[in-house]
Amino acid sequence: MPHLAVENISVHYSGQQWPALVHASTSVKSGEFVVLVGRSGCGKTTLLNVVAGLMKPTDGTVRVDGKLVTHPGADRALVFQNDALFPWLNARENVAFALKLRGISRKERGEIADRLLGLVKLDGFGDKSIWELSGGMRQRVGLARALAAQPAFLLMDEPLGALDALTRERMQTLLLDIWVESKTGVLMVTHGIDEALLLATRIVILAPGPGRIVREIEVGFGRRYAKGETVRSIKADPAFARARAEIEDSIFDGETV
Amino acid sequence: MTLSIETQHDIAELKPASPVTPRAKVNELWSTRAISIATILIFFLAWSLSAYFKLVSPVFLPSPLAVLWKFYSVAVNGFVDATLWQHLSASLIRVFAALFFSLLVAIPIGIAIGVSSIGRGIFDPILEFLRPIPPLAYLPLVIIWFGIGESSKILVIAIAMLAPIAISTASGVRGVSHDRINAAKTLGASRIQLVLNVILPSATPSILTGLRIALGTGWTTLVAAELVAATRGLGFMIQSAAQFLVTDVVIMGIFTIAIIAFILEVGLRRLERWLVPWSGRE
Repeated sequence: MPHLAVENISVHYSGQQWPALVHASTSVKSGEFVVLVGRSGCGKTTLLNVVAGLMKPTDGTVRVDGKLVTHPGADRALVFQNDALFPWLNARENVAFALKLRGISRKERGEIADRLLGLVKLDGFGDKSIWELSGGMRQRVGLARALAAQPAFLLMDEPLGALDALTRERMQTLLLDIWVESKTGVLMVTHGIDEALLLATRIVILAPGPGRIVREIEVGFGRRYAKGETVRSIKADPAFARARAEIEDSIFDGETV
Repeated sequence: MTLSIETQHDIAELKPASPVTPRAKVNELWSTRAISIATILIFFLAWSLSAYFKLVSPVFLPSPLAVLWKFYSVAVNGFVDATLWQHLSASLIRVFAALFFSLLVAIPIGIAIGVSSIGRGIFDPILEFLRPIPPLAYLPLVIIWFGIGESSKILVIAIAMLAPIAISTASGVRGVSHDRINAAKTLGASRIQLVLNVILPSATPSILTGLRIALGTGWTTLVAAELVAATRGLGFMIQSAAQFLVTDVVIMGIFTIAIIAFILEVGLRRLERWLVPWSGRE
């Protein structure tokens, strides 16, 4: 089973007072949904970029199954806050692009792409141009494209951050559905504590100045959804509110807000 | 779950928003257009009147009708051994041959400048050197080196087109969103795949802008290039007519150049809409 290990990562940007990240260590296994939360400047996006291979850490290593990560690769496909789709391609071709990079024949690409678009509830939207799609739909095409790379680990940088509240809630359950189905490991950055609680199997809390991991909490609300419980009943559970308070305490470190 | 509702909702979002241009804006647009048309009409009226009353000798200022007649007579009977169409096609072939070679060289140069500091180091000074020099200044040198044949004319025009295309390409390449490049990288794209599949298409709107500027420059340079040792071409036609004081052909030639430039501009806008319909809509 694929295993992603983050060992002792530090990142210093020159000219900054605090290191962006010091001695961050954590891990993601297949089937885990790990969510990074924390105030701005805590280094959560930096950590994600290091894991993606887009940024070289000053110190420390990232390994996938023991193999050192030095470059970006399809085993760690990244979903962005702003979809980063290719507007000169239609929805299907955007997904097929990832398939092309995997060396899949032209004939098969269209078929697989349509299946992945179905997975993100975009059946029949393959021929649509990107600019014809709403923000939520574009984000789903981006997700389908990342899944097309068949990543061992799906990385997401505030994938729902630019969406309106209602669309975001629907996307959360979609993410859970896909996570359950694909069984990949997920590493996601978010600002939303509710979102983190609902989706995560484990929440990693970071703090700024210098950016560091302060706490990791195992949570099981996503797994309850996977077993068939509704989001509404999960959120109504007092345990959800208690977990929320605990995480807020850790994030704000006792500060009154 | 509420999937069916969700899909319907999304379809509703798909409908293009109805263009709500404010009424005042529309009126303003129309009045500007009306003023432009009136300006053109007054220009032709003043020209006709001054020709009619012979305010200026017809040798220097023939009437609009005489010029219009020349379009027909040169198109049918020709001027200096070639019909209007032959002059025109000679010029167009030169410009488009030059454009072809210029694109072939300038786009790779622009990409090299945009993606690599080595590329920028090499090509930036060359372009900055070429850019401000008027083509007429290096025309004699090109003729010394390559003779007075067709290749010299095409080369001069191509050099004049080089800088605008390369610079626009480079700025388009540098403007490609980082997210887009990073997304392709994390999907496993190699450097070459990145350039061909992400950077080049992203830079296309910018390249087309460069192409438009280049065609303008090329068209300007063309007439100059044809002043030297050509036997056909619009520039040559105008120059010959001027030597014989056939002013109506001179004016007719000028109008031909203006009309062609206008048609090219419209054509390029069409091409833009067809090639990069997504530009400005992301």
